[in-house]
Amino acid sequence: MRRSLSQTLVLYGCAALLAVFTLAPLLWLVVMSISAPTDLTEVPLRWIPSQVDFSRYASLLSLEGGNGERFLSALRNSLLTAGGATAAALLLAIPAAYAFSRRRASMVLLFAFLATIMMPPITYILPLYATFSTFGMLNHTITLVIVYTAMLLPFATWLMKANIDVLPLEVEQAAFMEGASTPYTIREVVLPLALPAIAATAMLSFLVAWDEFFYALIFTNDLSAKTLPVAIADFSAGRVTDYGVIASVGVLATLPPAILAIAFQKFIVSGLVAGSVKG
Amino acid sequence: MQQTSILTIDSLHKTYGDVAVLKDITLTMEPGEFLVLVGPSGCGKSTLLSCISGLTEITSGAIGIAGKDRTHDEPADRDIAMVFQSYALFPNMSVARNIGFGLEVRKVAEAEKKQKVAEVAELLKIAQLLERKPAELSGGQRQRVAMGRALVRDPKLFLFDEPLSNLDAKLRVTMRTEIKRIHQTTGASIVYVTHDQIEAMTLASRIVVMKDGVIQQIGTPQEIYNTPVNAFVADFMGAPSMNLMTAQVARDGDRIRIEIPAADGVPVELFDYGTPPERLPDGHGNVLVGLRPEAMRDAAQMNGALNNRHIQTASCLLDVVEPAGADTYAVINLGGKEAVARLSADADVQAGERTEIAFDLSKISYFDMDSGVRL
Amino acid sequence: MHGRRQTKEKWILLAPAILVLALITLIPLANTVWLSFTDTKISALPVPVHFIGLENFIYALTDPDFQAALYRTLYFTIVSVGLEGILGVAVAVLLNQEFRGRTLLRALIILPWAVPTIVNAVAWRLIYHPDYGALNSLLYQIGLISDYRSWIGDPMTAMNMVILADVWKNFPLVAYVALAALQTVPGDLNKAAAVEGAGPWKRFVSITLPWIAGPLMVVMVLRTIEAFRVFDIVYVMTGGGPADSTKTASFYVYQEYFNYLRSGSGASYAVLVAGISAVLILAYYSASKRQTAGAAA
Repeated sequence: MRRSLSQTLVLYGCAALLAVFTLAPLLWLVVMSISAPTDLTEVPLRWIPSQVDFSRYASLLSLEGGNGERFLSALRNSLLTAGGATAAALLLAIPAAYAFSRRRASMVLLFAFLATIMMPPITYILPLYATFSTFGMLNHTITLVIVYTAMLLPFATWLMKANIDVLPLEVEQAAFMEGASTPYTIREVVLPLALPAIAATAMLSFLVAWDEFFYALIFTNDLSAKTLPVAIADFSAGRVTDYGVIASVGVLATLPPAILAIAFQKFIVSGLVAGSVKG
Repeated sequence: MQQTSILTIDSLHKTYGDVAVLKDITLTMEPGEFLVLVGPSGCGKSTLLSCISGLTEITSGAIGIAGKDRTHDEPADRDIAMVFQSYALFPNMSVARNIGFGLEVRKVAEAEKKQKVAEVAELLKIAQLLERKPAELSGGQRQRVAMGRALVRDPKLFLFDEPLSNLDAKLRVTMRTEIKRIHQTTGASIVYVTHDQIEAMTLASRIVVMKDGVIQQIGTPQEIYNTPVNAFVADFMGAPSMNLMTAQVARDGDRIRIEIPAADGVPVELFDYGTPPERLPDGHGNVLVGLRPEAMRDAAQMNGALNNRHIQTASCLLDVVEPAGADTYAVINLGGKEAVARLSADADVQAGERTEIAFDLSKISYFDMDSGVRL
Repeated sequence: MHGRRQTKEKWILLAPAILVLALITLIPLANTVWLSFTDTKISALPVPVHFIGLENFIYALTDPDFQAALYRTLYFTIVSVGLEGILGVAVAVLLNQEFRGRTLLRALIILPWAVPTIVNAVAWRLIYHPDYGALNSLLYQIGLISDYRSWIGDPMTAMNMVILADVWKNFPLVAYVALAALQTVPGDLNKAAAVEGAGPWKRFVSITLPWIAGPLMVVMVLRTIEAFRVFDIVYVMTGGGPADSTKTASFYVYQEYFNYLRSGSGASYAVLVAGISAVLILAYYSASKRQTAGAAA
């Protein structure tokens, strides 16, 4: 069907509006992060920075000075926590997914898995807090890794199950006929075939862990374990007078997920769509 | 000394919920036999193979392999190997590792494994492909690798699940010959599933014809072809299949008078001088008479054979004439069915004309009208 | 694989996952339920704990503050998810049209989703800043307001401002799901309806929307479950204020636990919130089951 001129105008107008709505807050965050501190306190605002100032990034990325140390240790903790939890979750999710896909484990049980992450964290937080406190585990990265593993596990299991479902069954049967045990078959036959699915699952899991705030807020209290979201909340709530610093931290924390999301768009979007719709 | 049977199946039943897929399957197979399970899709032949392999658990009955009860053993413990319809090669492994996988799992020493893989590759003419991945192979080569994986462990029994159905027609013939050659050189015991009755006829030392989860007939290809136990086997085995025509049959002294109504109103009248079947109805009665196309030739080509009293001629109206190279097939409307006669390639016949057809009554079969059972 | 071994293997494969989930979710959940029937308080000293039956619940259900928090959560959830639904479908319909730059735009709208929740909250907090915020400056410069306003310092607007920030981050998910569903609408169906004389709006309402309703429903329920437990964005943007105007149920429980240290009473609130979540989760289960069944048919 051909469009009339007015329809075309409306269409491109809407597209432009969407682009602005989507990008403006992000662009403004970037602009703030490189504006001179005085530009940010002008009334009304100076939209275009009077000079481009990368000094905040430089200070955040160096261990000299308090901000840099806070940021870099939070970055380290976030990488360790999200990475560790992703690895642990996959390690547990793959056998479980295999049981759901190939050993007729009940779908109701899988849904019960998913239900655990749909519950508000406040349902679990206090007993967890009490237990970790008893064992002196508060403020440790490993504690967050354990909690995040449980948080990532159901979705990772679900996603891996959906991917194992579509692998050719006969190949596994052939392995069993040849005398391979189930662990051997999973390791040597199933995993190599499921590699793309594992990568997609790992990526989505990492992003979820990277984003988590509530448990990190409660279970950590200093540089040794605080993750980026908590550090950012601190920056924002603290006495930082230069809003550009907060903006720079925000930009840096957004870069890894944004780069992943853009680079692996197809992967991630299909994982998201499947993950939210097929249940 | 009596040889131990390689495979014994004793009143095996398999049901899924309320659906009985296999009903009272009993059969025995001797070492070195090439047993082909054949039947239309849904007849249970693949399920039966799967039960033998242990991939499917049976509902009741017993399975013995090489003298041991294997009913409840895992596939890996049954001393069998299987070639899958999809080949089921491991895509991430080289041909050599695919073939040697079973040995790898059994922790066979590297040198011995290498040697066995090389021997099998030699036998299957794929020695030059050992380093390739399955994705780099043609369909026929994959088929060979799948067979190599089965052969290398030298198991007691081989199971083949429609192994040729994914190949194109020409390659299928080549691989059929190849499988036959391997059977003959290795003397392996093979259970082979196919829906293709030509494959069954050419490969089998014995054929098991199945339908609706029930074994219809077990026999050599000749027995199945010449004396099918019922109308289903007669119709299913052989291409083109046996003509089954409704006829009036009556004893007439020491012979049997057969009258087959024809579409043009002139019935064909024949006399069978052979031993009358035991259960032939006493008086007049409708039965199904079965004659294979090659038992209905053009009389003009028969010459001296016409002196044989088993060969009788009748004038028939040809409905359709189909030249097919070596033969010409003519369709004749007889006994309510389209019967096919196999005429010689140079037969001078036209559709819509009448011609003299020679019926070879020594090859005739009688079946009950209702049950289809051989009389 | 044979029955008994298959069953045994199934449980061996599942055991590690079940163990972790039991330790981190199931046992704490049971523990929370137990706490809700006691008068436990967080304390450095061991204090005797008493079983007090339904007392906490009776208090919680008659507590006007908690009721207000529940209503706020409900408001947040309904408005947020409603707007995400409308915006998501509108964006999906737009991105389903052919125009230059469509591929780029489809890629760009993943960015709000990729922004971490806390960064989103911080960014919008800066944008809403009463003195130096971009929103004030922009509206002032184009003449929509004559005075700077305290967007999240005013109880009248604070919640809606939080909602706007939440919608910005979460509409892409709904848009992607709706777009995926739209791409399966047979073009012939629309053409046939157009031939029958149905206008674009009529076609959208009577063909497109019913077609994508299944997946849309599922993702909206999922978003409802997530929105109902909202905490992070409130914590960073407003801290529940001003005048409790953004204090949601999760935030309320958080304060009861960690500010007032009343674990027994906090647990009873938590159990009530969990109960509502459980209802939503069951709704999700049935919606997704219907969707899967529909897709299989």
